[in-house]
Amino acid sequence: MAKKSGSSFGTFDRSPIPEVNKILPIRTEFSKGSVPNSLYSVDQESAWSRWRRGFELYCKATINQEYSYPFDYLIPLPPGTVIPPGSNPPKIPGVFQGFPTANKELGMHWAGVRLAGSLRFDNIRDKDGDPSPILSVTEDDDYWYVQISGDWSATNPLPAPLFIPPVGPIPKQYPINGEILEDRVVSVGGAVINSQTIDPTTQKRYGYVQAVLISTNETTGVLKLQKQGSVESTPDGVLRTPATRPPNVGRYLITGARYCCSCQDFNRRDFAYMTTLGQNNKKLFPRTRAATAKPGRHEIMSLRGVVDNSAMTDATVNRNMQVVSPSPQYNVPPTVTPNTSTDARSLRDNPGVYRDFGNVYLRNRPSPSIPGAVADGMPTYDDYSTVTNPDGSHTITSLTDYWTPLLDEVRYCKHIYAMKFAEKIFPPEPSDIPIDAEGIVEWEQDLVAKVNKDNEKAVYDLTVRGLSTMDVPPYNCQAPMMMPMMQKLFNVPSTFVLMSGFRMFDKNGTEYNPSTGGSPAS
Amino acid sequence: MAEFGEIVDATFVLSAEQVEIRKYGFSEILFSGTPTVYHVGDVINLPYASGEISTMQAVGLAWGAFASGVTPE
Repeated sequence: MAKKSGSSFGTFDRSPIPEVNKILPIRTEFSKGSVPNSLYSVDQESAWSRWRRGFELYCKATINQEYSYPFDYLIPLPPGTVIPPGSNPPKIPGVFQGFPTANKELGMHWAGVRLAGSLRFDNIRDKDGDPSPILSVTEDDDYWYVQISGDWSATNPLPAPLFIPPVGPIPKQYPINGEILEDRVVSVGGAVINSQTIDPTTQKRYGYVQAVLISTNETTGVLKLQKQGSVESTPDGVLRTPATRPPNVGRYLITGARYCCSCQDFNRRDFAYMTTLGQNNKKLFPRTRAATAKPGRHEIMSLRGVVDNSAMTDATVNRNMQVVSPSPQYNVPPTVTPNTSTDARSLRDNPGVYRDFGNVYLRNRPSPSIPGAVADGMPTYDDYSTVTNPDGSHTITSLTDYWTPLLDEVRYCKHIYAMKFAEKIFPPEPSDIPIDAEGIVEWEQDLVAKVNKDNEKAVYDLTVRGLSTMDVPPYNCQAPMMMPMMQKLFNVPSTFVLMSGFRMFDKNGTEYNPSTGGSPAS
Repeated sequence: MAEFGEIVDATFVLSAEQVEIRKYGFSEILFSGTPTVYHVGDVINLPYASGEISTMQAVGLAWGAFASGVTPE
């Protein structure tokens, strides 16, 4: 449409029509993401697109374990804490998964996963030293309230890391809030069960439930788990969502897999590219949209007190990351710690819950069989009721919308979707499929073809350029784009993310320690 | 019974034949060695014994120290 001049009130242009295949990082701020609008059938901010592209990446990148860097992270301990000789060190096992990308100078996005089972609740003890299984569960329409066994009170609250008491200007902290919890430990010290584990007493599968921890009451020992988005492994060995029953009484909880990614889509950050400076009219420097900006909020990477933004560091160097925020209201909710600019201990980037990444919305009806639950799946549009008139026509008597938040607490990038596909728990399909029904097949085929073409080019470019030693984890883990991610992934303060803690595994499964000069086998 | 640190729920296990024929892209460069220790999607078994400092406890110690302004040694 040609540009039309308006009246003196201004000039009115036609809004740009999004290109179907051009998927861009999510930038929407106030709509919280990807609800298809009423004007265009294509929404390039669709979570569905990421879900679908993630499946292609899963097929290409994760199935062969290429660019996969498994590690153990040995958690450093505060001074005075000694690991008993001969005992197992506390460690966080995980994998860095590289995804070649055509849009980044390094040629690779690095996503990370902390394996499920890393944190076990059978290691939590009450004041008498007794383990704390699930004592009972109550529920309402939306949540399960899981009572952890123990004599909890204001003077005897839940132990760390479920609850960290306030110290000076640092208020209460609940670092585990936002984690996925699963009731997969049957007895203290027992092996984690899976979907196929059979109870020897009943000869039936145990089954388990997976749900997100919403909040923690330290004085009563009640954990609030969200029904929506929960997953149940049934006695038939089938995974279904949402779960039809609460976590099992008597079991112990573990944490599920935790993901983080360095891509700008997940971090909601822009990168500047040195190789394209001056070649086009794209912006030359990263900038943040006004709606995203938290005035004054920034991160500082420093080495021995001097600002250091270099991308790569030696494996023997530990940099410090400080997240500076002028006042608590600029923190991203839900906030665990209100950082202040005057507090030198503000070293965290909202680790309990990822930065607000928009919710996924589902247009579906509540399930009558499961109060409070809304089944996931393709959207249904049965959102009105009618009466039949004597002449056979219909009159609409009510209009109702069923947009409800869906599933995970955060929206993932396509790399994390790829890893969730690899987890065997088929990530539920986001409801914002971004096109009219008649064009869906062709659109999806185009999308898949484009993903594959981009991926082949990215792999080719990476092969030509090559990754240097310092471009791979853990050598790049202190890069400005990686360090916040590492802290979110491990869910420990950034001061406890030290290079000396990394133990990597080479292709033969042999462990090596980069901080002491170790390297993988050739 | 799974031992400490073992994977108890693996995403997949490559057979010897699968390992043998693994290739990078369309090149003839064959992959050698065994698959790496952890895979994306694995579930690990970490049953710390009484008296050991578990991962759960260590994370708690880290957050508690952070609140007090204490950094690791």
